[in-house]
Amino acid sequence: MRPVAIIGTGQTNHARCRDDVSQPELVREAASRALDDAGLQPADVDAVILSNMELFEGRALPELWVGEGAFANGKPCMKIATGGTSGTSSCIAGFHQAASGLFDIVLVVGFEKHSEGHTQTGMALTDPFWDRAVASGALGNFALSISQYMAERGVSEEQAARVAVKSRRNAARNPHAHLSDANATIEDVLNSRLLAYPIHLMDMCPQSDGAAAIVVASGDKARKLSAKPAWVKAAATRHEQPYIGDIEQRLLTMRTLRDASRSAYATAGITEPLKQLDLAEIYEPVTYAELAWYEILGFCAEGEAGHLIEAGVTGIDGELPVNPSGGVLSANPVGATGVIRVAEAAAQILGRAGAHQIEGAKTALATGYGVYAWADAVILGSAV
Amino acid sequence: MRTIRIAGVGETGPVQQDRRSIPEMVLGAVDLALADAQIGHGEIDSVVTASVDLFDGLTASNIAVTEVVGAVMKPEARIAGDGLAATVHGACQIWAHAYDTVLVVAHAKTSMAANGKLTQWAMDPIHLQPLGVNFSAAAGLQANVLAQHDRHAEKRWARLSCERRAAGTSGMAKKLSQSEILASEITTSPLRNGMCAPLGDGACAVVLQAGSNAGGPVLSGVGHDLEAHGLGDRNLVHWAGLTRAFDRACRVANLPPADARFDLAEPSCFYPHEEELFLRATGIDGGTVISPDGGLMAGCVPVVAGMSRLVAAFKWLRQTGNAGKRALVHGHWGPAGQAQAVAIVDGGL
Amino acid sequence: MSERVSVPIEMVQSWRYSSGDSMERFSNGIRHKRIEAVKCGNCQRRYLPPRPVCGNCHLSLTEWVPVSDVGTLEAWTVVYLPFLDGRTGELRDGPYGMGLIRLDGSDTTLNHFLNQNDPAKLAVGMRMRIVWRDELHGAMDDILHFEEVS
Repeated sequence: MRPVAIIGTGQTNHARCRDDVSQPELVREAASRALDDAGLQPADVDAVILSNMELFEGRALPELWVGEGAFANGKPCMKIATGGTSGTSSCIAGFHQAASGLFDIVLVVGFEKHSEGHTQTGMALTDPFWDRAVASGALGNFALSISQYMAERGVSEEQAARVAVKSRRNAARNPHAHLSDANATIEDVLNSRLLAYPIHLMDMCPQSDGAAAIVVASGDKARKLSAKPAWVKAAATRHEQPYIGDIEQRLLTMRTLRDASRSAYATAGITEPLKQLDLAEIYEPVTYAELAWYEILGFCAEGEAGHLIEAGVTGIDGELPVNPSGGVLSANPVGATGVIRVAEAAAQILGRAGAHQIEGAKTALATGYGVYAWADAVILGSAV
Repeated sequence: MRTIRIAGVGETGPVQQDRRSIPEMVLGAVDLALADAQIGHGEIDSVVTASVDLFDGLTASNIAVTEVVGAVMKPEARIAGDGLAATVHGACQIWAHAYDTVLVVAHAKTSMAANGKLTQWAMDPIHLQPLGVNFSAAAGLQANVLAQHDRHAEKRWARLSCERRAAGTSGMAKKLSQSEILASEITTSPLRNGMCAPLGDGACAVVLQAGSNAGGPVLSGVGHDLEAHGLGDRNLVHWAGLTRAFDRACRVANLPPADARFDLAEPSCFYPHEEELFLRATGIDGGTVISPDGGLMAGCVPVVAGMSRLVAAFKWLRQTGNAGKRALVHGHWGPAGQAQAVAIVDGGL
Repeated sequence: MSERVSVPIEMVQSWRYSSGDSMERFSNGIRHKRIEAVKCGNCQRRYLPPRPVCGNCHLSLTEWVPVSDVGTLEAWTVVYLPFLDGRTGELRDGPYGMGLIRLDGSDTTLNHFLNQNDPAKLAVGMRMRIVWRDELHGAMDDILHFEEVS
């Protein structure tokens, strides 16, 4: 792909309910902040991509009403929706459009306003013949896969709880986070309500209202407009077969994320991710998934994820900080969640991540996760 | 920018009701397109699909087609909008040098639910949806504005609908005379039932490939645009968004928008007044053949609509005597043409 | 500060889904407690639910193979949170057991309810059997739940 870079990012303050703004206003909040961060005006934007899972709000073609909030009126605009990967896939679509030669500046905005719809209803519209009668949403499906992961790898509930503690504590440094607690403890997690064995409330991502945006620039523009752009080193997407029962030992194998990350590593020249990555913003919908992704992404050997979190390797001061922002566990406006991963990774390279900045960050990984096992991997770097 | 060849196309419809499941129907279009392009699934680098969750009654409705479009362990992007927008994105992927061969697929089945009820959910829920406004009402309002100072509009639209219906071969559209159309039931005044493109089920697939124009028609320009949502915020008698999309596509194709000449135009017209808006917005005049197969008036599948026009243009350019000619393809979605997409297709050498 | 205004809109929506050829055969089968999977001629994988193509090999699936009503529990959970039934909109109260069961003769697993909701009595590898509803109508809920093979 031709060179492109992220030159600005913006996020709303994510919360359970943002009834102080409409959906277009929520989107405007993130879009304006991203343009301010890039030092651009709305008129500088050549094309807009929106990311949203419309059934969560009970809507159709939401870009029609909400596009105005992303300054899209009178501009090329389209909406991307691929479940949980909507945000990362929209960012990748933004990379492609900015690299196409058709546009110099592409604004990507993801949003979700769960409080305005009924998320369980949206999630329940699965295959009407096969699993609609028995669906228990993302929660039940993760719980099933976790039972396999625990049986195979011997991961403990306490190790998983450490992921939630890291997330809540990191989120305390992030003004945009929906859930944060600088004093969170393993006991807090283990004592929180049991939702579906072995998932406790604090193991699971929340539903948030929120939006996030990135400004993507073509190579030449990026050099002109930014002293230190976050260059797109690699981007890969892999989709998977449609039923949970198709996927053998889902959390253990996750061939999509494995293949997408290996492809991205190869393109970006990464052979030792633990050493060469300065941070990762990964899409961890549940604590156990973060542990599983450590193994899939090659941060550790198979079966070593529990030790990695115990040793603090992925803590904010560790060798490879994972989700210094607090991750999906601390904020999850689904259509925006993937954009947040990429925006956080970019803000780290740009050196504008605030209190959760990783000093000297030069190479960052962002991942997306969706449906049963769809995956995106994006690598950003400080040099082309 | 490298040349994008349209390597093959496939379409299933339109039919009033396709009794197959969504994946079976989509597989029909994909198999035809791959056979037409003489390639296998293995040669596809990336897939771009177009579908709308609320229309399909499925959350992330591309889950239903992942296997049949061949996206397992491959990149897939899903555009929730008209298939021509998905085509625009597929072209961007090739021009970006991200992929060399892209399969673009659009599908919808209006037989699954009342489309007029579903499109209400695309309207501003604070100001418009509570009034019961849907895409059909917005089109009626637009036609009414156009007819305000134009006493002959209704007759002209009836004649145009009659001609387009007569040219159709899909078997979906009833052949109706001008007077039958003028006597048909009013849907949203001044539009009548006989003026509305009949809605049905269908899927389209197109293979885009980096290559040369020696191998057949090429996609030489694309453009898209989103207008303001509020009907009062727009001048409804002009499709300004289409003019912008058209200008962008001409720029990509290195054509001066004011004197760009087209041998064929394939507009997406859900209603006859939209053809007049299309001509006005693009400046197309009498020298251009328009919708020789009846266009959408012969059978229309929302989401697939714009892509079905691309397939029609491609097939026309492949007919004997049409090599080297140029076609303008159009798609739109949203109330009164709020979102617009355009593609310019040049016949091969 | 002025009072926040919100516009309530209620959504009532229904769709008619076509099952497709392979699912039609499957549905007609379970009306008679007969379960069949489709088998890929290339990778030999036996798929439930039946579908038009093998996503890995891109080949049409036309060969049918019989599947047992007994299988192995490959994954399990107990859900405590009430969950929405996507067909009716009614809430299903917890706690209820769920599992991924690999029926003998199929290579994919089937997600369904378990008649056991005590985590201490569930384990990966248990043998499970289908408990059928009294009146069968050719849909997935003809299977009431799975029970342990004693």
